[in-house]
Amino acid sequence: MQTLLTTVSTLPEIILIEIRFHGRGGQGAVTASRVLAIAAFLEGHHSQSIPMYGTERRGAPVTAFVRIGEKSRMIRSLVHEPDYVVVLDPLLRNTVNITEGLKPGGTIIINSASPPEEIEFTSEYKVATVDATKVALETIGRPITNTAILGAFAKGTGEVKLESLIEAVKTEMSGRMADTNIKAVEKAYNSTIVGKNRVVKELKKVALPPANSRADWRTFRPIVDPAKCTGCQICWTFCPEHSINMMERKSTIDYIYCKGCGVCAEECPTKAITMVMESEKKEG
Amino acid sequence: MSKPTPFQRVEGEEIMALGNSSCQGCGHATLARITFKVLGKNTVYTSVPGCIWIALQGSIPLYWRGTVFEGGGALISGIANGLEAVGKEMIVVGFYGDGGTADIGLQAMSAAAERNENVLWICADNEAYMNTGGQRSGLTPIYASTTTTPVASESRGKKSNKKNVPFIMAAHNIPYVATASIAYPNDLIGKLQYAKELKGFKYIHVQSPCPTGWGFDPARTIKVARLMVESGIWPLYEVTGGNNFKLTYKPRELKPVKEALILQGRFRHLDDSEYEYIQGQAVERWRQLLNVDGKKLPL
Amino acid sequence: MVGNKAVAYGAKLARVQVISAYPITPQTTIVQYLAEFIANGEMKAHFIEVESELSAMVAVQGASFAGARVFTATSGPGLFFMHHPMMEGADLPVVMGVVHRSNKSMQPDHTDLMAQRDNGWIQLYCENNQEALDTALMSYKIAEDPRLSTPTVFGIDGYILSYTAEPVEVPDQEMVDEWLPPLKAPWAPDIHLPVQEWKKRQGRMYGSQKAWLEHDTKFRSSLGVIREVNAGFEKTFGRSYGNGLIEEHNCEGADAVITAMGTIASTARVVVDDLRSEGKNVGLIKLKCYRPFPVDEIRGLAKKYHAIGVIDRNISLGGGGNVLNETRSAIYDIAERPKVLGFHTGMSGDEVTPQMIRRIAEKTLKSVSEPVPTAVEWVGGA
Repeated sequence: MQTLLTTVSTLPEIILIEIRFHGRGGQGAVTASRVLAIAAFLEGHHSQSIPMYGTERRGAPVTAFVRIGEKSRMIRSLVHEPDYVVVLDPLLRNTVNITEGLKPGGTIIINSASPPEEIEFTSEYKVATVDATKVALETIGRPITNTAILGAFAKGTGEVKLESLIEAVKTEMSGRMADTNIKAVEKAYNSTIVGKNRVVKELKKVALPPANSRADWRTFRPIVDPAKCTGCQICWTFCPEHSINMMERKSTIDYIYCKGCGVCAEECPTKAITMVMESEKKEG
Repeated sequence: MSKPTPFQRVEGEEIMALGNSSCQGCGHATLARITFKVLGKNTVYTSVPGCIWIALQGSIPLYWRGTVFEGGGALISGIANGLEAVGKEMIVVGFYGDGGTADIGLQAMSAAAERNENVLWICADNEAYMNTGGQRSGLTPIYASTTTTPVASESRGKKSNKKNVPFIMAAHNIPYVATASIAYPNDLIGKLQYAKELKGFKYIHVQSPCPTGWGFDPARTIKVARLMVESGIWPLYEVTGGNNFKLTYKPRELKPVKEALILQGRFRHLDDSEYEYIQGQAVERWRQLLNVDGKKLPL
Repeated sequence: MVGNKAVAYGAKLARVQVISAYPITPQTTIVQYLAEFIANGEMKAHFIEVESELSAMVAVQGASFAGARVFTATSGPGLFFMHHPMMEGADLPVVMGVVHRSNKSMQPDHTDLMAQRDNGWIQLYCENNQEALDTALMSYKIAEDPRLSTPTVFGIDGYILSYTAEPVEVPDQEMVDEWLPPLKAPWAPDIHLPVQEWKKRQGRMYGSQKAWLEHDTKFRSSLGVIREVNAGFEKTFGRSYGNGLIEEHNCEGADAVITAMGTIASTARVVVDDLRSEGKNVGLIKLKCYRPFPVDEIRGLAKKYHAIGVIDRNISLGGGGNVLNETRSAIYDIAERPKVLGFHTGMSGDEVTPQMIRRIAEKTLKSVSEPVPTAVEWVGGA
């Protein structure tokens, strides 16, 4: 008891906060959790970065967790009731219950081109949005949104300083990669909009795809130009997902199972297939 | 001899279910889809830990049994003997990775081949332990950067050459040994169809590039696989009747190996002398293979 | 006949369809006998001549998966090499004979099989060649029971039984056939069964903590099956081994008992009979089944006797005798529990003489009425 009383008088700002990251394999959710944990450590806190145990597949939904606070408060389990939820992919909302366990009045940092007021949840949360995919493409050149979303986290929560994040990026990356990722953090920090979500009675029923759907693995979707498709079946042969069907001798894509790998577009001899960035509105 | 056949001419249903869990652009998924459609439903397949078991097994609705990493050769032997003992005629196929074939699985596989068990062994070779995060295997090529042969000031990637397992298997004097590539489905299908009709131990070694582990854009899986063949790094051939050797793909001229390697992040660090070494190796191997093409191997 | 031949006869009478094994002393002659049976047409079975014990285990698991009745056999180091697949394939009714071999010599102790105690294999121990043959047969009946489908291993002490000849009654093949019908394997691939239906029949338990609980529950239920099979065996063949799990020998009115496994039980029978004739109230408990551990039976002993002397021909290094530890653990919450004394003897095949057993029995009996040193005692092995 004595020790508790002494610590109370010298409490650091953070006793314990818990954060959950939602992303897809390849977007760097685990790296994001590590960078944030390092940034918190650089500010003098104890921290844990916890990847969800299991095999990670490029494109598959993944979760990672961060715990920041006093060393004496560090438990060893996953985060079940986060203070913050960070969402690296705009489309995950459709398939994953991202607010599960989120503390009432908690904050959601979400990669979205829409302002917070247009994001719908059944309860009111503090919401910070940033078009992290756009930021990532403009800075890093690839839709890897992990560092951009951290910029939004700093802006939206104030729990970690922008400078600490930049230092943390430097510990994890080097050279050009570090430079472009730091740009991503800064650009996202500056373009993050903080507000509150629109409260709705129930979430718009998105026709839920089957459990084994791979639609949310895609960043790009293949679009077939029927005028150019000769029906040669080369794309059909190579498709690893078996998600191309021949209809009236033209390739048609099954978007429920297509993972968006792009093999079909690459192999098409007449260039009848192009890869187009998925947009959250279209998917909704 | 096998006869190349386009996929659309393969009769029967697609066996692979939709929505597998392998990575985007995974060559194994294409390979599994082709293989199982050719083999058909009267098939028991087996796997050992690896990308096939973890990522693909749930999407292959066939009779299946997995076993310990080192036990592939014994498991297919046991199943083949057991089925025969109870009077069931089914195809028994082992669908194993490079580790389950060439490293930890080599002993039991060699023994099964020596006993000439009536099974088909498919080695889905992505050239490293990709399911555990890309550690080097005995089938990782020289200089490749993997998570256990990283490139740094004191290291140029993997130090030794890829093990020549097809020739090791040919030395077992079994009815059929072939190499194949997922970029050449017609050739692969022909070989599967040929093997399907043979009794005894059949070995098909399929190169299946891994976008995640080799470091290239998933869209380029087939392109990379094709360039590996066109540059002579991965020649396509078969050995029938115990020792008749035949190249099944003979380009007039090999492409430079650089065209294939430059696309792969694992070779990003190669300098001119290293390219030259791999180039020299490919050309020399190709020369030797042309020498024995259509002839009997001295096995 | 010698013990190894008795085991081979057990597999032959069971009409095993697939055998796979790798030579190792002192198991080797079992598979030689079987190879001869096959070679001279006495037995119809596939013999997979593997390159290692590990492959032997995986191969018989594969054949069992395919629906065949299978057999393999090994000894000490070979058994250690099988550990990985034994752990992996604990859903198939594979039967194995182990000819005990120590890890420190070629002579027997039970440390080899006890090192496999956490695998989910039923473990039965035999004291003579007749029991070896009978236990081989019973093992199939137990393993293949549709409620279980659980692998079963039985052990015989190397050299002491494997190469020692004594009279063995070989059951009539027709009687065995009637008692042990061909294996029904609903898990086997069957082209007439849709894959989805077939998948439901798979016994493999994999996944979360719940899978461990389910496996343990099912595994423990095999104790009842073993008792049933033992009783059924007696009805058909006129021989039984206690209640299948333990046997109480000359225990009536005893104040103390000693427990023994394998061949030590034979010597202990004689010693106990001698002691009783001298008016010393000590009996023998032969422990036949070590996995699952027959907790109910052991608790039953605790209520009847004032002291139990446990002979362990095994050791868990740093932990002690396995049977001692489990016996104490089984009776711990019984208020009026007996004294439990521990003894190691016969390790690495060291001679176990009647004098040694007598010392153990007398010390155990003495503990009923007066204080004795409770530290575990190593008897013999000078």
